Amino acid sequence: MRTRLGALLVIAMMASAGCSSKSAVTSSDSDAGQGSSLQGSASGASRGYGFDEYQTGPIGDVFFDYDSSILAAEAQQRLTENASWMKSNSARQVIIEGHCDDRGTSEYNIALGERRAISAKEFMVRLGVAASRLETITYGEERPFDKGQNEEAWAKNRRAHFIVK
Amino acid sequence: MITCGMNSGTSKGVITSLLLLWCLFLSPFFLHAEEQGEYIAIRKQGGGKIAVVLDRSAAKGGKESEWAREFDKTVKDGLVFSNLFTILPPPSNVRAGSDGKGGSVNFGALSSVGAEVYAGGAVSKKGGKVNIDMEVYDTFGTKLLLKKSYSGKEEQLRSLGHAFSADLIELLTGKKSFFGSKIVFISSKSGSKEVYQCDFDGYGVEQVTSFRSISLTPVLSPDGRYLAYTSYTSGRPTLYIKNLHDNKVSSVAKNGVSVDPAWRNASELATTLSFEGDQEIYLVRPDGGIARRLTNSKGIDVSPTFSADGRQMAFVSSRNGLPQIFIQDMQSGLTRRLTYSGRYNTQPSWSPAGDKIAYSTWEKTGEINIFVINADGSGLKRLTSGVRENESPSWSPDGSMIVFTSNRQGGKKLYVMSSNGENQRRLLQMDGDQMQPSWSLFR
Repeated sequence: MRTRLGALLVIAMMASAGCSSKSAVTSSDSDAGQGSSLQGSASGASRGYGFDEYQTGPIGDVFFDYDSSILAAEAQQRLTENASWMKSNSARQVIIEGHCDDRGTSEYNIALGERRAISAKEFMVRLGVAASRLETITYGEERPFDKGQNEEAWAKNRRAHFIVK
Repeated sequence: MITCGMNSGTSKGVITSLLLLWCLFLSPFFLHAEEQGEYIAIRKQGGGKIAVVLDRSAAKGGKESEWAREFDKTVKDGLVFSNLFTILPPPSNVRAGSDGKGGSVNFGALSSVGAEVYAGGAVSKKGGKVNIDMEVYDTFGTKLLLKKSYSGKEEQLRSLGHAFSADLIELLTGKKSFFGSKIVFISSKSGSKEVYQCDFDGYGVEQVTSFRSISLTPVLSPDGRYLAYTSYTSGRPTLYIKNLHDNKVSSVAKNGVSVDPAWRNASELATTLSFEGDQEIYLVRPDGGIARRLTNSKGIDVSPTFSADGRQMAFVSSRNGLPQIFIQDMQSGLTRRLTYSGRYNTQPSWSPAGDKIAYSTWEKTGEINIFVINADGSGLKRLTSGVRENESPSWSPDGSMIVFTSNRQGGKKLYVMSSNGENQRRLLQMDGDQMQPSWSLFR
């Protein structure tokens, strides 16, 4: 609930500040607590939502519900932190990969994966990151992170995966 | 019109009449004469299988006998695959000649085993080539239906067998068959997903691409000239169109995704592109140029498939939330929803031989099953059930069969079934996963 309020606050502040999102991001960072100690390269240790054994870069992934490309509160918070990192590392570019679990059918999942990558990108662009620094690609169900056939595995595979170039 | 006469007999009139009645009521197909005096048997809708005796081809000499065995096996396998025939062993005295070969056909013997059609021939060597003289008889009418010679090189024996099988099926059903058609598909056999192709019956598997990338959704143009597919060789899913005559490759040079093509005719295909932001379906030319945009809705629009006349397109859209199948009139642009049963309906495939659409439904049970529905939304029928995930239906060119993917025995493999769901069986044995089969039209 708190994270959702935080995200709403970000959006509300963005709207009132006419998208000069610096203050919004600062606010979100303070809200996010321990998840925001982001600098340098990956330590390999889990750093909260968005980071897992498949996430090696300095910025974290976001996860989605079944057949959805809607950004939940936790995802919005993660993306806000990612945007903040992008601003303090202004020379870096990232690739956002859209992934799906392997249920459903593969052609539709290619399209769904693209929508996931694009919704993550668009959120960060609204926070002031230049669109040219955020490249998207979809893998649909072609490159699962976890090949297990259970909800835990599927949840891991429904993600926008960030790779810093 | 109906020809069921006998050549001899004392009470000729009575016997003929009785035979005529028998033909009309018991025979699963009936015969009528065409203008040129040819006979075409049209199977009644829902009629049973045609009882055929395939005689061993006569041959003199070792080489010829070898050819005859291969030819006979090809024909038999092809007719079994078609699921249209009951194949009966030839009675020992089928040919009246002294050696059991040659001479005239013993129609009495054929009728006594219930054969409706007799096919037999002779294999010989002519000018270094294989020559096969085939004859087909209507055993009740004792009429010669077809007399034709097939000739080619030794390595073309399978094609000769298929050419005869195609002629036989067209003669007896009035329809073209799938002999000579190809199936293109994806396999992970080599470790990465590549395009492969095989004959209609799973024979002659060939690897088509060697990109060591991810290749998806191959589909041949109706004239067999182009192969369209999506590949990640450039780093992103891009549509490529390969001219199989000169091996030139075109791509759709647009940003964003470009997936899942379908040919509308020999010179136009449709695919999903996202360069304008939302995923929409566009008509594309074989050179990769965009002809026009077809859909305009927020959300995913993907997986086009066309009616045989190219006037209507079925496709998948998430415009109402979960994916459902819609039909768009190509001229007016008017779009209507086709599927209302099931929460997740994708992968439509329009029959090239009628107004039926096959598709897959992800069901509440977790199974994915193949359904078929009329283009007007009536006649919904489930074709697979109780065997895990069954996906990617694609029709044979004559509409009599459907090839699809199933993981019912573990990994994803290719299967075929009759268009009513009967006789489901593996198409081919191959390592790795096989998926996304697409059956070509006639070649």
